[in-house]
Amino acid sequence: MPRMNVKQKMSSCRWVLIIACAAMLLTGSRLASTASAANMLKVGLLQEPKTLNVWRASDTWSRKVLGLLYQPLYVRDPGTLELIPWLAAEPPLFDEKALCYTVKIRPAKWSDGTELTSEDVAFTGNFINEFKVPRYYSKWKFISKIETPDKHTVKFFLKEPKAIFVSRTLTTPIVQKKEWTDIIAAARKTKKPLGTLLNEKIKNPISSGPFVLKEWRDGTYLYLQKNKHFFGTGQKIQGRLLGPYIDGIIFKIFGTSDASILALKKGSIDMFWWGIQPGYLEDLRGNRDIELFQNEKSALYYMGFNVRKAPFNDANLRRAIAILVDDDFIIKRILQGYGIRMYSIIPPGNAFWYCPDVPRYGEGLDREARIKKAFGILRDAGYTWEVPPVNGAGKVVNGEGIKLPGGQTMEKFTILTPPADYDPHRAMCGMMMQEWLRMLGIPAYSKPMAFGALLQQVKVKHDFDSFVLGYGNLSLDPDYLRNFFISTNDKKRGWNMSGYNNPHFDKIANESASAMNRDKRRSLIWEMQKIIIGDVPYIPLYDPKLIEAVRKGRFTGWVQMLGGVGNMWSFCQLKPM
Amino acid sequence: MELRKYIIRRMIQIIIIFFVILTVLFLLFRLAPGDPVSMMVDPDMTQEDAEILIVQLGLDQPLGIQYLIYLKNFFTGHFGFSFHYGEPVVDIIWNRLPNTVLLFTTSIILSALVGVFLGKIASWHKGKKIDSLMTIGALVTHTLFLPWLALILIWIFAYKFGWFPINGMISEEVWLDPEAGFIARALDVMYHMVLPLSTLFLIHFGAYLLIMRSSMLETLKEDYILTARAKGLEEKVIRDHHAAPNAALPVVTSVGLSLAFSINGGALTETVFTWPGIGRELVSSVSQNDYPLAQACFLMIAGVVLVSNLVVDVLYAYLDPRIRY
Repeated sequence: MPRMNVKQKMSSCRWVLIIACAAMLLTGSRLASTASAANMLKVGLLQEPKTLNVWRASDTWSRKVLGLLYQPLYVRDPGTLELIPWLAAEPPLFDEKALCYTVKIRPAKWSDGTELTSEDVAFTGNFINEFKVPRYYSKWKFISKIETPDKHTVKFFLKEPKAIFVSRTLTTPIVQKKEWTDIIAAARKTKKPLGTLLNEKIKNPISSGPFVLKEWRDGTYLYLQKNKHFFGTGQKIQGRLLGPYIDGIIFKIFGTSDASILALKKGSIDMFWWGIQPGYLEDLRGNRDIELFQNEKSALYYMGFNVRKAPFNDANLRRAIAILVDDDFIIKRILQGYGIRMYSIIPPGNAFWYCPDVPRYGEGLDREARIKKAFGILRDAGYTWEVPPVNGAGKVVNGEGIKLPGGQTMEKFTILTPPADYDPHRAMCGMMMQEWLRMLGIPAYSKPMAFGALLQQVKVKHDFDSFVLGYGNLSLDPDYLRNFFISTNDKKRGWNMSGYNNPHFDKIANESASAMNRDKRRSLIWEMQKIIIGDVPYIPLYDPKLIEAVRKGRFTGWVQMLGGVGNMWSFCQLKPM
Repeated sequence: MELRKYIIRRMIQIIIIFFVILTVLFLLFRLAPGDPVSMMVDPDMTQEDAEILIVQLGLDQPLGIQYLIYLKNFFTGHFGFSFHYGEPVVDIIWNRLPNTVLLFTTSIILSALVGVFLGKIASWHKGKKIDSLMTIGALVTHTLFLPWLALILIWIFAYKFGWFPINGMISEEVWLDPEAGFIARALDVMYHMVLPLSTLFLIHFGAYLLIMRSSMLETLKEDYILTARAKGLEEKVIRDHHAAPNAALPVVTSVGLSLAFSINGGALTETVFTWPGIGRELVSSVSQNDYPLAQACFLMIAGVVLVSNLVVDVLYAYLDPRIRY
């Protein structure tokens, strides 16, 4: 083999250098040209959306994107959080006698230019009911029939009164009949029609929203272009003149928060559509190109007990633990102040349904006072100690050997939490709770566990003592309160994970589900909150604040609301600066 | 003839081992706590919804039936549908595989070439400063924690100097430009490869350097090297033409196996650089209990590793006439 001489080697090196420089220059020049494309919003996502099949999407990322494509009849006003007509032209009319809601549809078009009609709405509802589409079926199954007297009117006939109809059923995304008819026809011929539908790859979703899919490069970016047929363009809805005023949105995928935040600081993206962890805040606050928004979330993080078994079936023990758990410490130290103390199961941000008049365990008490109060409750309930946590002189000491009212020694008590790499806050909460409970002599042990395994133990096997879990995005309709605690949901995979069983609560919960009068329903929901917080199957802990970061000087018009600035209203109102 | 018999024997062994792996994988995923449906912590999912979904995913079937479906999916090359993407697993893998192969194969070849070259130089100058420098350098870079190194490189070269992109495989500016042709796009991919490739190179080249150095030192003690010297051949000729080709044999084995393992994509590298490859899918599918996708990823890795082992053994016999099976 002939050997390369020095000249040849130099020549090879030169070629490598030329190629590398060309690559850099080429991409650099394009970056520069993009900087002038000021109308394009670049949004960083932590993970790639899994699918654009709206019926299959179970991940946050797919739903964020799909929320800009498929629109519902009603949406929440960002200021009042009340439901307002969106694809609908006006509020729904309810005929109590006929159990019928009439909804008028506003003139709107799909992204392919065809008209959005009542047929599309009826088709969506009938499709969900026929195929029992998971996540949506429970919101539509009580509808007996859907009529379309004309192309702008839909009549929904209910089998029974359902309070969630407006807030949950009418907020379902509507799909185009034309797009799905052939898919459904083909699916019906298969062995598992629903499975076939859920596995359908939607390459070009027909949108009724402000944007439409232009291009999706797997694993790298997803480009939504302004929908020229969007019904809201130029319309004033709730006093807001809608655009979109931007040409499109490019969603860029980042595997880690570190990379996303560097990209934001560098200017590669205009917004990181995810909560910023407190650890990054100091750095971002000092950056004059970054603007931070702080909003409340509709979230609940809580400690739950397995009330199916002793000693957790004793409300006195649960109340004593609720007093020992120092929410203020959790918010100040663990969340570094970025959280709101929860007193009820419904977050305070959901003002209409939140009941402020519930028992507030341990509020304003210091550690010693908490121990004394919890000790008093347990002592009065018949609990005894080998070494009581409060001695004869009334001084707090380390309690030991707590015994149940029957005289048996309390067995090891496990607090299951997600692992620190999944959620450091919840893992840390579990460790702190362990320490607080031990001060009273309760043999508590915090046990971080893989998230899947934790859910299996709690939700499927019901084999646990207590756990710390959370919901990051609760619906604004409070029906989940019924779901979480009604005794009929105390079954494998049911939402009553604690196994709470209170016939009085069940009665009120069922009444609330069929209460069509909003005020009456609110009084029932308030009553339910009082019962739950009195019995404490769950100890509400905190609702973390959502901090979001955007680039300054690029776009103006961010709309703040519960759940952050990454919302439909922002994307419809953002204007390039 | 002997080699042919050997290959046939090994092929039979590979089929048996692969079948065992196929079964163990199936069982491991089912025995692991948690299932794909309970992972969906969404208060909108009622128990009824969860049960419907379980039926659709085929998780309601007895384990034996699930196993038979799994085997059928494997033998038809379909691998089933991903629980989360709702797409055929084979499509997802084919989509991601080229990206992984491009990055990791390039890095292994580059690391091996540089490692062999430097290893040769280091051994030739054994005990001198250049040898110590290279050996220590190789040890240090080889033992660096990959995500740390990756983040440091991103911070310096992408964020501080702005020379390279922070992550990803392509720039939307180039790929959305209808005028950008093949060359522009290829250059864009190369540009994005620089940092992940540098990270992988820095981590891996040291191993090849050390293997080559050690193997060279052994080779240099051989009689035929003494004979070459006695014949009065130039030192450089002895090093490059007599010692190095023989000393490179262990590197061949190492490269062969590394190439096989490269298809798992190095989950860490792909995650930090958001490189859309198999490694990232593997991590995501395992953490979300997406059985069909995770199983297919593992099976592919197992298959390629088994076959590569055989290829390396055969290659060894071809490269070294002393080895006969």
